[in-house]
Amino acid sequence: MIWVETIINGVLYGGLYGLLGVGLALIVGVMRVVNLSHGEFIVLSAFIGVSLIGVVPWLHPLALLLPVAAIAFVLGFGLQAVLINRVVTRPDPFAAILLTFGVAVVVRNLMVEVYGADPRHLQAGQLAQASAGIGGLHIGVLPLLILALSVALFTALQLLLTRTRFGRIVRATADHRDVVRLMGVNPGRVYNLVMGLSLALASVAGMLLAIRASFTPYSGVERLLIAFEVVVLGGLGTFWGAMLGGITLGVAELVGLRLDPNAGPLYAHLLFLVGVLLRPSGLFRVRA
Amino acid sequence: MTLLEVQALDAFYGDFQALFGVTLHVEAGETVALIGANGAGKTTFLKCLVGLIGSRRGEIRFGGEPIGGQPAERISRLGLSLVPEGRLLFPSLTVEENLLMGALNRRPGSWNLARVYELFPVLHERRRQWPDALSGGQQHMVAIGRALMSNPKLLLCDEISLGLAPLVIDQIYASLGRIRDEGASIVLVEQDVKRAAGAADRVYCLLKGRVTLHGSARGLGLEQLSRAYFGT
Repeated sequence: MIWVETIINGVLYGGLYGLLGVGLALIVGVMRVVNLSHGEFIVLSAFIGVSLIGVVPWLHPLALLLPVAAIAFVLGFGLQAVLINRVVTRPDPFAAILLTFGVAVVVRNLMVEVYGADPRHLQAGQLAQASAGIGGLHIGVLPLLILALSVALFTALQLLLTRTRFGRIVRATADHRDVVRLMGVNPGRVYNLVMGLSLALASVAGMLLAIRASFTPYSGVERLLIAFEVVVLGGLGTFWGAMLGGITLGVAELVGLRLDPNAGPLYAHLLFLVGVLLRPSGLFRVRA
Repeated sequence: MTLLEVQALDAFYGDFQALFGVTLHVEAGETVALIGANGAGKTTFLKCLVGLIGSRRGEIRFGGEPIGGQPAERISRLGLSLVPEGRLLFPSLTVEENLLMGALNRRPGSWNLARVYELFPVLHERRRQWPDALSGGQQHMVAIGRALMSNPKLLLCDEISLGLAPLVIDQIYASLGRIRDEGASIVLVEQDVKRAAGAADRVYCLLKGRVTLHGSARGLGLEQLSRAYFGT
């Protein structure tokens, strides 16, 4: 029974991991850029959440998801418009990767300067302890909510990209950046919106993760690592693959912790390594 | 009325000069063929017109307005539409979504989805499929339809017969007649001299980036054309 519970909890946790990765997958898929500052913006969103809680302490952190996502969207839009669009059209992909690395270093140190290096936590109150008994299993209400939210966001993203005019423009820009210009589309503006969307998704993941685990300004690297593994394991640029990749890692981590309480995310990383060796193009590669 | 006027156009890729003083004009309602061997500069010339090559000298006027130096996304809204070499369809979009991309400019005119399907009925049957499931000729039809959806005043066609069976080429060229009847002018870039000269009012021949011959399609002899084409 304890194993069933562990696996269910792993699935619930993994949905959040998928959400950490999907914004990164979006950027890789649309502009062929690996955003090395993705993890820093995940952590920054949690700090923005902490600041907002300081202003309106009576609000539940979950009520702050929308305002934080809106702020993250604006940050992403600005980051792309002011910095990344300058290098993204260069034939050498390293220019963009190095730039995002630089952004990561600056954002990380700004967070240390403003918030200090102490570990922080977002308090979810009674919701954090609430659990539901289903058929003799004890499942946390908050993790269930988080998975439901992740699935809802994945579905919304999927619908946005496949069913709307905006989604059509994004996919076409990803295919041929020059050809869309012949149809009156400015690829730079599409990139601005996509980066905003990517960081808005990342910010939701960042807030939810901050409710489940503490974080410091230096947590970005660990977040980026998970996001990376999710994207690669799921198959580059595929969104449901990222979700399944996240769930695989989540289950591996919790099963590993059950076997060895000191392991941390070691077993998730090991599983990633085995996965990449066996299926280098991703476990869940399907047509995007 | 002169729709397109190009004066002494030079174009560069870095230090390499691809076009030397190209002068050309297209009247409203006219079909002009631009012929030349591989590497003569035909595609470069079209890219200059639509704004995809920034490094150039000379003057380009479209509908009287100077468009040289303007970005491609702005030029497209003026009614200049390109069927690019190699089609360059969007592989992640269905046939119908590809066509709809052409309509983003919202230029008014007689072309819309229904009219494009009427022109190429096979595309209607295949509207939900991915472009790479289509034959080469059908992919050309999607590329032409996508360009038409913006209701261009001038349609630029880059090697629309390349790699197609003669029967399919006949079909594509027949559609050009109907596009003309709707009022669009056409620039046809071709390596197939006979085919292009047969469909055009006037012919320009490019050789190593220079115009070596131009004149009425009916007035030019085949021998004269092939000399300008090969530079012998």
